[in-house]
Amino acid sequence: MRDQDKTKEQRVAEKRVAELVVSEAQHKRKEHRIQEALEYAESIIETVRGPLLVLDSDLKVVRANRSFYDFFKVTPEETIGSFIYDLGNRQWDIPRLRTLLEDILPKDNKIDDYEVEHEFSNIGHRIMLFNARRIIQKEIASRTILLAIEDITERREIETGLGKAHEALKELATELKRTAKVKSEFLANMSHELRTPLNSVIGFSEVSYDETFGTLNEKQKKYVNNILTSGKHLLLLINQILDTAKVEAGKMNLALSSLPMKSLLNEMLLPIEDMAGKKKLQMVLEIAEDLPDIGADELKVREINYNLLSNAVKFTPEGGTIGMRAKKADSEIEIVVWDTGVGIAPENMEKIFEGFFRVDTPYSRSTEGTGLGLPLSRKLAELHGGKLSVESEGLNKGASVRFALPIISGKVE
Amino acid sequence: MKKKALIVDDNANNLMLEKDLSEITGFEVFEARNAADGIAIAGREKPYIILMDVRFPDMRGTAASRILRQDKETCDIPIVFVTSSVMAEGIEEIKNITNTGFMGKPINTRTFAKEISQFIK
Repeated sequence: MRDQDKTKEQRVAEKRVAELVVSEAQHKRKEHRIQEALEYAESIIETVRGPLLVLDSDLKVVRANRSFYDFFKVTPEETIGSFIYDLGNRQWDIPRLRTLLEDILPKDNKIDDYEVEHEFSNIGHRIMLFNARRIIQKEIASRTILLAIEDITERREIETGLGKAHEALKELATELKRTAKVKSEFLANMSHELRTPLNSVIGFSEVSYDETFGTLNEKQKKYVNNILTSGKHLLLLINQILDTAKVEAGKMNLALSSLPMKSLLNEMLLPIEDMAGKKKLQMVLEIAEDLPDIGADELKVREINYNLLSNAVKFTPEGGTIGMRAKKADSEIEIVVWDTGVGIAPENMEKIFEGFFRVDTPYSRSTEGTGLGLPLSRKLAELHGGKLSVESEGLNKGASVRFALPIISGKVE
Repeated sequence: MKKKALIVDDNANNLMLEKDLSEITGFEVFEARNAADGIAIAGREKPYIILMDVRFPDMRGTAASRILRQDKETCDIPIVFVTSSVMAEGIEEIKNITNTGFMGKPINTRTFAKEISQFIK
């Protein structure tokens, strides 16, 4: 039928149909958009890592995400459609949550970081931060509430723990300072109190031995000499204990000067040669001709050398050999003091640096010593930026102590 | 006439040792067991030299020496502190007092006379 042949009614009806088709298409597009928006919202809810709740205006649960179920250990069946306060056998009837939902949110549509602390029977004590939004949807005359929950229990525990640890550390530091002060005062007092009687012991026995006020018979002289030697041994102990404590407290200051090592070593060997001669020990000396001067504390260097050399004499039985090698090695001088004496068992190699350790052999029991000379010598060498180490192939196989001092250790005055 | 030395020490044994060594060196020795007596004897006898401990029951030797320094009669007498306080704090304490010396305990009886003579002008 041609268009001009259609009746007016027919034309009206066709137009109406055409309009309906358009409207239907529009409606479908709209529905499609709504569907898309819903899916979009749905994926957001499921993507969020923290628990999320959607409530209607009656505070009934409309949606909850997977994280909510996982975290609060509840099922969708008991959750959806329930009044929020009834969740988990009314566990959710939390006064602070009521305040948020009933007092704060109606006045303010947006609340962040609202803290709620609660004891749940199934998941225990929890501290949570709530972000809440009230969304007003005019078209459907409805109000939706979004609740996003973050569990901060562990973070808070760590923060509190850190705070406590910090406090404890501060207290410990104060206590350590106090202890260091008490220790240093104790040592000063000990030093004073021990020196006072030692002054008499050493002073009177020295004067008696020297026969300043009259002669002694042979036995008296021997006894008095024993008192004097023992007094001096005690004094050495006190001094070494104090020095060890000083180095450990970082209070030992070096008085650096330029030391002509070659002449210093040769001069130091004189009294040692005397000691060695009495025990019929051979002495082998290899002091390099080009041994340089070093910047170091003279008294401390003498002390180290004396300790090592006198140890070599003490721990080598009659007829043995002791020796010293000294040479320049790069920016250091290296001195090795060796002997063919009682040696050190492998298990004792570290113990000899612990202080008061005496290698327990029938021979060493009879020798004089404090057991502090070697550890103190190592500390003094290290204070100069040097090193000290001991080698021994075992008991009765001799020992050698190698120590190195930098040619320039710090400022030379 | 012998030169006078004053020895102040609260420990009887140490006092005796220093006294005997000083007498052998040729001094006429006066002794005091505390700082107050020491100050009194110093004013009366005007010794050539004073050997003084640092710790006394009544006051410190350094305080006693400041009193001696304020008196015209005793301000120039050399004072040798013979003390067991040989650690840094002890030496620091006497640093600012004029015309003083330091001898650590235990004393060396063999060099005692020589050390004392160094402090006398």
